[in-house]
Amino acid sequence: MSTDIHRLLDEAFAGVEMTPDAQDLKEEVRANLVARVDELESSGRSSSEAAREAIAELGDVRDLLDGAGTTADSPRAADSYAALQLHHRVRPKVGFVVRVVVWSLAFIVGMTLAILGATDVLPLPIGPIIGLLGFASTGLALVVGDSLSQETTTNHPMPPTRAGGYFLATLLGTYGLGIAGVVALGALPIWCVVFAALGVISSIILFAFLAASQTNRHKAWVRQAQRDASQVGNRFEQEPETAARFGIYTAVIWTLTFAVIVVLVFTVGWWWAPLAFIGGFAAMMLLLARMMFGPRKTS
Amino acid sequence: MTQDDAFAADLLRGHTDTIVLSVLRHGDRYGFEIYKSIRDATGGSHEIKEATLYATYRRLEKDGLVESYWGDETQGGRRKYYRITDAGRAVYGGNVTAWIATRRIIDSLLDIKTTDVKEPRS
Repeated sequence: MSTDIHRLLDEAFAGVEMTPDAQDLKEEVRANLVARVDELESSGRSSSEAAREAIAELGDVRDLLDGAGTTADSPRAADSYAALQLHHRVRPKVGFVVRVVVWSLAFIVGMTLAILGATDVLPLPIGPIIGLLGFASTGLALVVGDSLSQETTTNHPMPPTRAGGYFLATLLGTYGLGIAGVVALGALPIWCVVFAALGVISSIILFAFLAASQTNRHKAWVRQAQRDASQVGNRFEQEPETAARFGIYTAVIWTLTFAVIVVLVFTVGWWWAPLAFIGGFAAMMLLLARMMFGPRKTS
Repeated sequence: MTQDDAFAADLLRGHTDTIVLSVLRHGDRYGFEIYKSIRDATGGSHEIKEATLYATYRRLEKDGLVESYWGDETQGGRRKYYRITDAGRAVYGGNVTAWIATRRIIDSLLDIKTTDVKEPRS
């Protein structure tokens, strides 16, 4: 194992300002160079030769950094989000809209009939009720799966396999909940709750897996708009004293709210307590809006 | 580099983003692996430079088409792996469709019959 390549890499980065970005690039380049050196050595080059050749192939590292800098820092005309949205507008396909209406109808009709059957309003045996539940669940699952595989103004379409996963998870979850409902209404014996639990639990596992492995679906313009918006800045980060005042006011509001709740409970009855809670919450939100977005003090 | 090579390199460079996305479609890769797959596919000639690729990774990551994470190698520096996102797959699909359509147009403009693969007389 040669150490030449690490020395040459340090030399190549000598004189480059070590921003976190540059440090990141250097580490990435290092691993790639080591792999390239190994390859050259296995084809019969001496280790110092291999290191020199790999570095030479890389060229000037300043080019790599400059190329990235110009795109990130170039000033752009700050368009409003609404204007950007209009510019990148994607209309829903007519076929998609028709399909969603049909599947929503399937869900509503299936659910309604199943509920009427389970509550003995309609004289339906249990078999068709379970069938109707499956019909309704499939309708809802198709709405979910199809919507996810559509391109929207802000999102790219989801790949078919992943959209299929969401379809399955919705189907299992809805079916499970439906059967649980029928059991609760007394149309199915209590042990059938096992099927309901099976559906709901597998649906939760599948949803958890899909959520954990989900990657970015936003379009590039949305990401840029989000970056621009985050640069407007958080008032509390820029003015720590405002944040401190907000903290104190919040404590005062909730202490008062608690006191009012106690008074209400002991005078007019406990059911008036939520009213005080709502009052406190509203006061805090007003305070937040006032402090976060109110006119700035010019220093 | 001959005139033909320069023309081919130019054409190839215009599709670097799509090519990298295509390599990543089959699984997560780090820089040198991506570079190697492209180099092997082009028959060993260095038509896409490493420097170009570093710029491509950054652009793709900024646009949310790939994500990166550091591997846990202990020797020789940690590798930065790239993973394609759902957005990346969608863009890849769109670019492939566009390429197939463009290829047909260029073939017909340059008067190339798909069945006729003879080298033109020089």
